[in-house]
Amino acid sequence: MSEVKRQLAMVMDLNKCIGCQTCTISCKRLWTRDEGMEYMWWNSVNTMPGLGTPKDWEQMGGGFRDGQPNASRIPTRKEFGDAWEFNHEEVFFGGKGSEAHLQVKGEQPEWGPNWDEDQGAGEYPNGYYFYLPRICNHCTHPACLEACPRQAIEKREQDGIVLINEDRCRGYRFCMEACPYKKIYWNHVQKVAQKCIFCFPRIEQGVANACARQCPGRVRFVGYRDDQNGPIWKLVDKYKVALPLHSEFGTEPNVFYVPPLAPPRFDANGEIDESQPRIPNEYLVSLFGPRVLEVLATLKGEMTKTRAGQKSEVLDILIAYKWKDMFGGFDRDPASIEWKKT
Amino acid sequence: MLVPYAANVDVDALLDADAAPWRSTAPETIAMMGTPVGLQPTGAIRAAWTGKKIGAVERITVAALHTGSALAFRLEWADPTENRDLTDTTSFADAAAVLLPSTPASVAMTMGAPTAPVNAWYWRSDADGGRHVIGEGIGASRTIDVELVRARGVWKEGRWQVVIARALRIDTKEPVAQLEVGAKTGFAVAVWDGANSERGGIKAFSGDWRELVLDATKLARG
Repeated sequence: MSEVKRQLAMVMDLNKCIGCQTCTISCKRLWTRDEGMEYMWWNSVNTMPGLGTPKDWEQMGGGFRDGQPNASRIPTRKEFGDAWEFNHEEVFFGGKGSEAHLQVKGEQPEWGPNWDEDQGAGEYPNGYYFYLPRICNHCTHPACLEACPRQAIEKREQDGIVLINEDRCRGYRFCMEACPYKKIYWNHVQKVAQKCIFCFPRIEQGVANACARQCPGRVRFVGYRDDQNGPIWKLVDKYKVALPLHSEFGTEPNVFYVPPLAPPRFDANGEIDESQPRIPNEYLVSLFGPRVLEVLATLKGEMTKTRAGQKSEVLDILIAYKWKDMFGGFDRDPASIEWKKT
Repeated sequence: MLVPYAANVDVDALLDADAAPWRSTAPETIAMMGTPVGLQPTGAIRAAWTGKKIGAVERITVAALHTGSALAFRLEWADPTENRDLTDTTSFADAAAVLLPSTPASVAMTMGAPTAPVNAWYWRSDADGGRHVIGEGIGASRTIDVELVRARGVWKEGRWQVVIARALRIDTKEPVAQLEVGAKTGFAVAVWDGANSERGGIKAFSGDWRELVLDATKLARG
């Protein structure tokens, strides 16, 4: 949107993500604990290749094709993985001792938010997988905002964060249909659509997003796209090692990924085979576009340089020697603030 | 439609679609049509609904009574499924609304305009209450209150029976329809079928204004 003066963005380094879901839980604890939000994971992490969350979302359409809105559909709660209810009462207070074990109550689930964890693809000894954390992409060309007939979605002028105005929302869910990343949820109790808010109340106090700050792997960089002293501009624009996911969806995401390198393949004799990559190029291209191969070559080149004793600014940034440098100035300690619920 | 006067009847009693005064009020059958896909307010909605059936409800019966101080519409239509439960992401509520012009120049087909608004009295099955809405164009409606419009819907044997009522005159600066016994105005109706994922501008509607006169002379029988 041209009216946006600045754009906040995030870079996630997939080479460092260990799939621990600390980001997921930090978001859950902070934002989606109310009734009607049980099944929501504004932040999710999935094993790739995999069907993802919601199930098979990459095949659902949405976004734009040739600049025109592309038809899609709303994922069901089951496809999102739903919220499982457990027999905690029975196990902890039922007096049944070891006879009762923890299980999902009622109908047994057939899908969950990380159902195909660590399955990946490929044959031993050349199996492969990596983790893909996802939040709302706070797109520059948000399909959700354009789909809403009630102007209930705004893209903030000051930082480009895309927010749903729950007072305007009437629960029509055209946004859920239009979002090609399927990162909008339906709250059936509040009867409104809800999604990642890029932790704007924290951002406004100079505190980085919970998912970024809590990440034990130092995966997530936060900051303004145009801040030449911050990590986003350096990784996306200066060194060009971070790419949007499925840019062909046409929404211009503001979450970028450093694509995953992988160990080399083994040949039939168990010898290292550098002739072809372990993660097929075409798979990475299908996610991050053709430039992904240049990015991987750049990263390998930088690693070669450092092995030869030279300095690499881009690797220094990615290693994140100084934790606070990851947050583009949004490095205030949240414990130093008195938070009020408004 | 000439709206009979129901003497000595409280509008609360009329919210019951089976109430005695309704039994002696002849309804009008109105053919409904789907809203045109080209008039939907966003490209995504147009893309999603091109080639799909809009307006699953093709016929509705409408009766109306006034009490001298309030006007009630009784809408009835066939709907094989009662959609009140919105638990799943893909469940949508059945709904209905009566549209009235707020000014003599208001246009029903465009849901009003900023200078000539329309006034919708809206009922949705999941809330089962009324919603008082001002329309100032397609995609430009806003709720002004959820108290003044009274509404109740009952689904039985494959049919919705919904009564929507409001006081004739409202003390407000909002551009609502102010009704007067004996004066001529217009009305339109809309129905949303939740089972067909109808919501917002995706609905069945009755077309241009139909005449509405609140009878100043005759008393309703019964």
